[in-house]
Amino acid sequence: MTRFQKMIFGLQEFSLLIKDIFAHFGSVKDNWTETIQEMYLIGTKSFFLIFLGGLFTGIILAIETGHQLETFGATAWIAKTVSLGMVRELGPVITGLLLAARTGAKNTSELGAMQLSEQIDALRAFGASPVEKLVIPRTIAALVMFLPLTLIADIVGILGGMLVSNQTFHSDISVFWNTAVTSLKMKDLFVGFLKPIFFGFFIATISCYFGLTTKGGTTGLGKNTINAVVYSSALILVIDFIFTKVVWELL
Amino acid sequence: MIELKNISITLNDNVILDDVTLSIEMGMNTIILGPSGAGKSSILKIILGLWKPDNGEIIFEGKNVCKMTDDEILQLRKKVGIVFQGNALFDSLTVAENILYFLPDKKKLSENEPKYKIEELLSFVNLSGTENLYPEELSGGMKKRVAIARALAFNPQVILFDEPTTGLDPINTESVLELIEKLKQNGTTSVIVTHILDDAIEVGDNFIVINEGKIVEAGSLEKILRSKNPFVKEFFKRFIEENHNPFIRISKEVNK
Ligand SMILES: Nc1ncnc2c1ncn2[C@@H]1O[C@H](COP(=O)(O)OP(=O)(O)O)[C@@H](O)[C@H]1O
Ligand SMILES: [Mg+2]
Repeated sequence: MTRFQKMIFGLQEFSLLIKDIFAHFGSVKDNWTETIQEMYLIGTKSFFLIFLGGLFTGIILAIETGHQLETFGATAWIAKTVSLGMVRELGPVITGLLLAARTGAKNTSELGAMQLSEQIDALRAFGASPVEKLVIPRTIAALVMFLPLTLIADIVGILGGMLVSNQTFHSDISVFWNTAVTSLKMKDLFVGFLKPIFFGFFIATISCYFGLTTKGGTTGLGKNTINAVVYSSALILVIDFIFTKVVWELL
Repeated sequence: MIELKNISITLNDNVILDDVTLSIEMGMNTIILGPSGAGKSSILKIILGLWKPDNGEIIFEGKNVCKMTDDEILQLRKKVGIVFQGNALFDSLTVAENILYFLPDKKKLSENEPKYKIEELLSFVNLSGTENLYPEELSGGMKKRVAIARALAFNPQVILFDEPTTGLDPINTESVLELIEKLKQNGTTSVIVTHILDDAIEVGDNFIVINEGKIVEAGSLEKILRSKNPFVKEFFKRFIEENHNPFIRISKEVNK
């Protein structure tokens, strides 16, 4: 098969996996243990990473825009810029990219190792479905957990921006916070909170797909893990662009 | 009887099996012999319906496995257990959980029942008391026996063993072969894939020799040993010709 044929074949297989996920979504009621465990893993193990990611993004956003706005004497606008920037764009994207690396790599390497050691075959051989036992719990965990993590990144980012503004540009803390909150419209929140749901879905499904299709020993596992992170990161940027450009104008 | 008729399968332009026809008699130990890469594991995956052949049919209890519904496949997999070459134990689960994981309707069983079942299965494979250990805490031979206990969880009529003694020391090999014999006495049908002749001959009733995806000889041990097929002769050389067996040769020299 040529590279192009392989890609088309891969896309076809990926769509079949997604179809399978939707067809058996109800099976989650038999696999709550796995689902809760995955949620717990994403939540607890990613918290610190997301916290740092959000904090520094907010700080940098405030410093960079602050210096520009200062020349116009418009430092009052920092609050609005940081708040909209974090909630609409940077919060979701930074969280998405960090989780694409963290959760994506975890899913692919786990499922890939299970594939290589015939554990996936064993599941099927004993009448269990890898999609129901492994993929759907991970997908639901991502769907549920990405939103609160993004929210944390947003809030921590705004707080970071607030501290920097207060220290560097001497803006009043309560004025900053009020401006930050009141500049957010329903539409901003809607788009900002819809993104992580899409990001979560694709990160989980892409990483599970690459895990389940691992072959060729440890080299193949390494390759697929890289692919999962690369493809889901790229897709996050594309989806983000679609939201910013298309969905925003439709609303 | 399990029958494979004219099975062919090609994966990624590789011919894995080429017009394979064979039958597995119930209550007997059938050995599938052949070198690495011959397609032995592929035959097991096809019997379980894990892989779909491009051509041919697999008949189990009068039904074509390729045409079974998902539900029928599920029933089939409860009647046919498998022990994978690398055991394929779930490393995040304990021994007991590995076995229980697949037991159906585990919620419907009474409090004591699963535990009883686990104890029974573990004592059958001589591993009583290992319920709460994790696979990484077990030796190779113990892992193999857990994999066998897991395959027995549904009381299957048939068990497929993929190279059950490869990589085991002689003592563990012996205990695995003893388990296979014990299963036969209970009426279980075993299909044993291997390339180790000693082990094959110790437990085998019927033999199938496969090379490069094709069946080259099938039948009783006598029939195989009398085969004129050059591949079979080469494969059995160490057995047939005394001088090729280093153990016999050296022990003769030592005792001279
Ligand atoms: N998933 C797969 N995709 C493509 N080729 C495979 C796959 N699995 C096995 N093969 C190839 O099929 C052939 C037979 O494999 P297998 O049945 O595992 O042999 P055996 O068990 O006799 O060693 C080998 O050449 C192997 O490389
Ligand atoms: Mg094999």
